[in-house]
Amino acid sequence: MGSRLRPVVLIGLLFVSLAAIRAQEIGFTAAVDRNSIAAGEYVKLTVTLTNSQERFELPAFGGLAVVQGPFDNSSFTYVNGRMSGSIGRTWVLTATSPGKYIIGPAKARIGGGVIQTTPIVIEVTKGAERPSDAGAAQGQSRDANLFATIALSKSKAYVGEQLVATYMLYSRYSNIELSKYEVPKMDGFWAEEIDLGDTNWEDQLQTVNGLQYRVAVLKRQVLFPQRSGKLRIAPLELSCLVNRSFFSRGSSVSIKSNSVEVNALALPASAPPAFNGAVGELDMNVKVDRTAVKANEAIELTITYSGRGNLKLIEAPKLTFPGDFEAYDPKVTDKISVNASGMSGYRSFQYLLIPRHEGDFPLEPISFSSFDTRSASFRTVTADPMTIQVSPGDGSSATMIQRPSKNDVEVLGKDIRYIRTGDLALHPAGEHLFGSPFWFAGMGTPALGFMLFLAWRRKQEASQRDVAGTRRKQADRVARKRLAEAEQALRGSDRGAFYNALGKALHGYIGDKFGLGPAETTDANITARFLNYENGSAVAQEYMKLMTACDMARFAPVEDRPRQQIYEEAVALIGRMEQLVRA
Amino acid sequence: MRTRLLSLLLLMVPCTVALGLYRVEADTLVAQGARAYISGDHASALRLFDTVNTAFTSPSLLFNIGNCHFKLNDIPHAILFYERALRLAPGDDDVQANLDLARQSVVDRINELPAFTLGTTWGKLRGGRDADQWARRSMWACLIFFVVLAAAFAVGARMARRLLLGASALLLFATIACVSFAAFRHNEVTDDSAAIIMGPKVDVLSEPRTNTTVLFVLHKGTKVSVLNESAGWFEVQLANGSVGWLPATMLERI
Repeated sequence: MGSRLRPVVLIGLLFVSLAAIRAQEIGFTAAVDRNSIAAGEYVKLTVTLTNSQERFELPAFGGLAVVQGPFDNSSFTYVNGRMSGSIGRTWVLTATSPGKYIIGPAKARIGGGVIQTTPIVIEVTKGAERPSDAGAAQGQSRDANLFATIALSKSKAYVGEQLVATYMLYSRYSNIELSKYEVPKMDGFWAEEIDLGDTNWEDQLQTVNGLQYRVAVLKRQVLFPQRSGKLRIAPLELSCLVNRSFFSRGSSVSIKSNSVEVNALALPASAPPAFNGAVGELDMNVKVDRTAVKANEAIELTITYSGRGNLKLIEAPKLTFPGDFEAYDPKVTDKISVNASGMSGYRSFQYLLIPRHEGDFPLEPISFSSFDTRSASFRTVTADPMTIQVSPGDGSSATMIQRPSKNDVEVLGKDIRYIRTGDLALHPAGEHLFGSPFWFAGMGTPALGFMLFLAWRRKQEASQRDVAGTRRKQADRVARKRLAEAEQALRGSDRGAFYNALGKALHGYIGDKFGLGPAETTDANITARFLNYENGSAVAQEYMKLMTACDMARFAPVEDRPRQQIYEEAVALIGRMEQLVRA
Repeated sequence: MRTRLLSLLLLMVPCTVALGLYRVEADTLVAQGARAYISGDHASALRLFDTVNTAFTSPSLLFNIGNCHFKLNDIPHAILFYERALRLAPGDDDVQANLDLARQSVVDRINELPAFTLGTTWGKLRGGRDADQWARRSMWACLIFFVVLAAAFAVGARMARRLLLGASALLLFATIACVSFAAFRHNEVTDDSAAIIMGPKVDVLSEPRTNTTVLFVLHKGTKVSVLNESAGWFEVQLANGSVGWLPATMLERI
């Protein structure tokens, strides 16, 4: 605005130079600073009329919007007494959509005729990505002086595909202070902030429907839809203090931005098994620092995911290494930049592997599945299979004593236990020992045996209690045995032995029969016992006589009768005594 | 007299030989069955084991038959034979494990009251010996008891007699214990009140005739206990106490 000449000077100069100018050749041109602009950029149109003071008609701008202007300017030069002057008018024009625009001719009436400038063609190409103006126009309708918008880089995206949301403030106030603003909660999105740096007031002015605004980018976010469907971003609410100056406290204005909706498309159902949510323009690269090592030396396996997309959501791939490899948790390295074009860079996982034994170990091929947003389809990249050759370890190198790591036995499947083989201990079906006759017999026999034992024992005891009776019962038998000895001696003509045996037989018989001890078998005792029986005295006398005869024959060489007779008498006596006692 | 004894002996010899042969035959059949099972021919293995089972039995044989049924995907029969094996040898780990696995495919879930047992030791003690073994033991215990008692009566020394009497008291206790175990196991082994549902799906009715109220529906493999029998119908009780009638063809006693 400062370029406008002061009217006083202008009038003065015009007056002085009027005659001189008239004499000069008249020129009329229209010029632009450039013929080709991008949408949203500006073009300066200057129409200049030389050596004339006539008014001229404005050209038609052919669809281009006037951002600034018109500005008038005029110049006078005085060279060697000849004066020349020109009047110019300048506009700043812009176009919002690409296309071919024609600035029509400007016309001036000079004298009797009309002169006109040549039309100018302006080529407007597609500009740099600009937040859509629809939101701005809508915002403008709410408050023409101050409004906020949320602009999305695209309104349709696959789940996991990134899009950029820009929060902008448009202001026509010369002085504005943002007191507070609240960023809406992201429901259904995973959001990543874009660092805007220190200055967030854009240098450029922006025109919305012919009005000029200063535009501030409050915030930029990369958004990743997390679920399919229509996801709505709530309006941005903020309050500002406007027109604050030294003299005024200003006034507080609260505004609300538009609310935007993202149509999140579900990924196709045919996801490959390796897919774990990577969406974008992503690629994988697998690298091993060496494929031939010695046992107990480390290998570095690096898997790098690079490109544009939700890199920060990529997790470490689940890899299974050969059992003899010791594998450590991967080291994650990120070089991910988040800017207005989204999230890009790479994320790499570095695995440290230590083979513990020699041999050739093929690594299972590593594959990576992602949803490619360019082709809107799943893409699986599989790395080339690799084989690690491990040679026997260096004996000199200090190696730790390796214990195999213990794992729980994994239950992989369930099945019944195996059948029994060998001896099945078969026994006839339906036969039971318990309750069978054999069992009853087995149980009863010992009891019966015990009872028999008891009965026998009782009888035994009873007879043992009567010792004398036993002796008496056996007296006859003992006597007969001794008599038999005597008979033997008789045959052997042994006189002493014969009488000795005979005496013993008689004496023993009496002792046994009457229960007398050796000291008690006196003649008086024996006679007394015999007297208890009927006709006992006769037998006693006979016994005494025979005993005397025996003693005589034994101790003196007197034999009144033959031995045979003595023997027979003794046998008869014992028989009689037996009869006597029994009677 | 002598000729009669001889003829009796001659008659006995072929009998024992026949029995012995049959025993040997059973063992070879079992071996053949095991080979068939290993080679995966479960149907032949089952046929062979079943042949043996007509005359002989043992927990292991029943277990093998159950396994064959399981492999042939006849779960109700597998359960039936496992239950039979378990009845002969309660507390057998292998049988119990397979029975548990087989029961997993039984549709009906009946809240069974946990069986009262005095722990596994008791179960093993009880089950490790079958009724016959307990009966044999009871006979031995009885014999030793009377021998010791007789010795106690016979011996003269007071101290020895007391010791022997104490020992005989213990032996008497052992005899009674063995007899009770034998009786208990005998009852268990010969108890056929439990049955397994064989039909894929059985309506349990309120009366022993068709076209009456259906009380509940049972599926194959479920264990029930038989309360009553009446002209081709069984009155059964579930573990949860429900009672109803079903056709005799639909179940098989354990």
